[in-house]
Amino acid sequence: MMLSWTSLLPVLIILSSLIPGLLIFATPEAAARRRIILNLTGVFLKLLLVALMLAGVSRGLEFRFVIAFLPDAQLVLQGDALSLQFVALSSVLWLMTTIYAIGYLENSPLRSRFFGYFSLCVSTTVGLALAGNMITFLLFYELLTLATFPLVVHRGTPEALRAGRIYLAYTLGGGALLLMGIALLHSIAGTPDFVPGGYLTALAGEHAFSLRVAFGLMILGLGVKAALVPLHGWLPQAMVAPAPVSALLHAVAVVKAGAFGIIRVVYDVFGIEATTLLSLTQPLMWLAAVTIIFASIRALQQQDIKKRLAYSTVSQVSYITLGVSLVGPIAAVGAIVHLVHQGLMKITLFFCAGNFAETLGIHKIQEMDGLGKRMPWSMAAFTVGALGMIGVPPIAGFISKWYLATGALEVNQHWVLLVLGGSALLNAAYFLPLIYRGWFRAPPAGGWHDDHFTNQRFETHWMLLLPPLITASLSILVGVFAGTIFSPLGWSQFIVNREFGL
Amino acid sequence: MNLALLSLAIPLFSGLLLLLGGRALRTRTTGFIAIASTLASLIAAWLALQEVAAAGTTLLLNLGGWETGLAIRLRLSSLSALLLLFTALMHLLIGLYAGLSRAGINRDFWALSCFLHGSLAALWLSADLFNLYITLELLGLTAVAMVALSGSKAYRPAANYLILSLAASLFYLLGVALLYGRYGELDVLLLAPRTEADVITRLALLLMTTGLMLKAALWPLHLWLPPAHASAPTAVSALLSGLVVKGPLFILWVLWSEVAPPTLAQQIGPVLAIAGMIALTAGGLSAMRSPHIKTLVAYSTVAQLGYALMALGLLLTWQLPQMHIALWLFVIAHGLAKASLFLAAGEMQASLGTRRVDGLRGATQTVPVAMFAFAVAGGSLIGLPPSGGFLAKWVLLEPLLSQPQNWPWAIGVLLGTLVSAAYIFRVVALSFDRARINPPDINPDRVGHWLALLPALMVWGMALSGEWLIQLLAGGGV
Repeated sequence: MMLSWTSLLPVLIILSSLIPGLLIFATPEAAARRRIILNLTGVFLKLLLVALMLAGVSRGLEFRFVIAFLPDAQLVLQGDALSLQFVALSSVLWLMTTIYAIGYLENSPLRSRFFGYFSLCVSTTVGLALAGNMITFLLFYELLTLATFPLVVHRGTPEALRAGRIYLAYTLGGGALLLMGIALLHSIAGTPDFVPGGYLTALAGEHAFSLRVAFGLMILGLGVKAALVPLHGWLPQAMVAPAPVSALLHAVAVVKAGAFGIIRVVYDVFGIEATTLLSLTQPLMWLAAVTIIFASIRALQQQDIKKRLAYSTVSQVSYITLGVSLVGPIAAVGAIVHLVHQGLMKITLFFCAGNFAETLGIHKIQEMDGLGKRMPWSMAAFTVGALGMIGVPPIAGFISKWYLATGALEVNQHWVLLVLGGSALLNAAYFLPLIYRGWFRAPPAGGWHDDHFTNQRFETHWMLLLPPLITASLSILVGVFAGTIFSPLGWSQFIVNREFGL
Repeated sequence: MNLALLSLAIPLFSGLLLLLGGRALRTRTTGFIAIASTLASLIAAWLALQEVAAAGTTLLLNLGGWETGLAIRLRLSSLSALLLLFTALMHLLIGLYAGLSRAGINRDFWALSCFLHGSLAALWLSADLFNLYITLELLGLTAVAMVALSGSKAYRPAANYLILSLAASLFYLLGVALLYGRYGELDVLLLAPRTEADVITRLALLLMTTGLMLKAALWPLHLWLPPAHASAPTAVSALLSGLVVKGPLFILWVLWSEVAPPTLAQQIGPVLAIAGMIALTAGGLSAMRSPHIKTLVAYSTVAQLGYALMALGLLLTWQLPQMHIALWLFVIAHGLAKASLFLAAGEMQASLGTRRVDGLRGATQTVPVAMFAFAVAGGSLIGLPPSGGFLAKWVLLEPLLSQPQNWPWAIGVLLGTLVSAAYIFRVVALSFDRARINPPDINPDRVGHWLALLPALMVWGMALSGEWLIQLLAGGGV
């Protein structure tokens, strides 16, 4: 096997967080400085490597690493345009979340364990993004479950354990279904690399039934992590995890892994042609539409900030599935770009919710009155995220919705506009009251019942404040500069041109 | 072939040496001799594997140069060479644990484990139903003695084990006698072309199968296993669950895939496969409900043997080479994972001063390495990629999924996966409890914990050599 730098780069990207992670496990609890250095070295090294790969891919270089694994199914890591979209997102948001988590967990116990699993979690997410075929994808998909479980139960309280058990029951069940689907597919078509346009078109006639079953199993398996209704039950439960974990789970790691898997299955395994031939797009579209509306209504019913955000995630991530199932190039751009946009906006919202809870002990929506006076910066970031979710231009969310809507019109699925419009209204209904309370209501007369960080220079610990400000600015910037080639939108267009052979 | 013989002879002779040396040897020396001989046997087995792989066929040897029919005939296939290697590796890993961990072990363990090693090696190499009986008997008696090593509290399970083991051997021997009366021949290779599906053969096969299933604790004849394996000393439990039950399974496989007429084999295949499916679920459910750590692990053996039984049954039904590969991959992956699981369970039990599963609350903090070993080994039992258990499950699933009429079997595998996940993560979830931590009684023994992790890491490493293993097993049926 020839080992050149192009074949090693995907492995190095994974190792750049895996090795620091393993070292962190071995770091004594008290050695906070060493832990931070390890963490940040890993993060910046990874960003550097990802930038290198981005430059390479945009010049047409191929990055591919292969080792033998199963008969007719190797382990393949490769960097193509789509995987880079996800890798870049996870690496940037990992940086933000690491800074946030260092501030959040200051002086709390078991930090070595936490940051160890945190790094493992990012390593597996990146591995999943770089997976070059279904087997490799499955491997990282399962490892992701294992790496995130300790984070979900990190607090170790009975509620956390309960949430952890529910999380495992859903994700391991989903993993088993995905395995069945992949094994079934392997027995029909083997496991070649992902290829734009898929590799099943020629088999769609002969094996229609088996392929439909395989697709169903795989979507069920992926739908658990992507939180498609009715497989979303674990996500609101998992809110007991510490805020940085929720942020990571919702914006990058787990739900995105599911959504990314759906993109891969539809575009690079089945291919648009075979998916249409087997008439699989319609059910998927309905599933996504129902999820979007149902979860928005559920969000409206929640009084807990994090729970409301959780249901909002369920709804927003399904935009990706919806865009994929519309099988038109414009909707596809909307879906792929939403992978990034939703991540930026949702992570901002979770960071802010964490700040409210850590600084003032605010968990419920009623307690948010007058928050803008005490924490203007966090509240501003929160507002950007929330308005973006509703789809107010020029924030990122608007771009996604615009492309999804025009994409739906392009393929003559006019009813999708109703779904998008309804969802935007519901989004407004469950986000605007929070913004209103924060900015326009008076603070509680008796003062904040719990007020930390008053002696700080900023409204809260700077490590808690900086990440949401950056991600909120990014949400605006990617919207404003959507027209340039190196924006997420430009890159999504590049991906879609390959997928659809434009 | 001589190398394989060496791999068999070394542990037997060192076992004799230790027995004769008795109390004259210091305990340390005893352990050292046993581990060194295991290492030598491992190297010999590795070279034997190279030899048989290079030869590309099965090698035969008539001991003492007698002619076929009179001589004790040994047979070395790539499978038996692999099993020799596996046996030596398991003994080495568990011997290292027994020798180096603070828990220590009764000094009589070493001689017995050498005998156990020797009798298993002889079992893999035998090609004669009567010789197989001898090895089976040796194996059973050594195992009983080893269970009794943990002192008076284990005498009762050991006695039960002894009685069952003897009864099972008797069943097997009766079957052998019937076959000898019918065909006048017990050599597997000579017997195989001559067997017919008549009443005597059927009866003989039935008796032998009952005996073997009892010995291998295959469902529904498994009830003796959990108490016996749970009450033995930790290192012994690991050997028993990881290795000893595989011996009778091997004979069962020889019996049905070679000796029995194919028509009969095709009839019994589905029965065995269904028993395997039930074992998977029922054993898993019992493990899930078990209040004690070691009993949980022991029941998981019952469940995991279900996979092997299913693979064997389907191998007989369809005569597919993949099933053969899956069967032995399961055996190896389970052996390594189970060794780790038992060692970890034993270590946690000792450190935390409790035998109950509830006592593992907070184990990720108090005994992190042992708990990690438990989780990693458990991951292979569930079949999470890229572990050895996944490799085996994948090979098993492929032929099941390729034909829609075989899908019900795949549902069995799916159920098995879910149940295994349930009992493993029942423990893992508890260990993250920070609210009600069960503090350790003694300072955890770091060496012991890391040695418990070693086999688990190996089973996850199996994936890297997956292609090699599959080729090796695909090369020679027997």
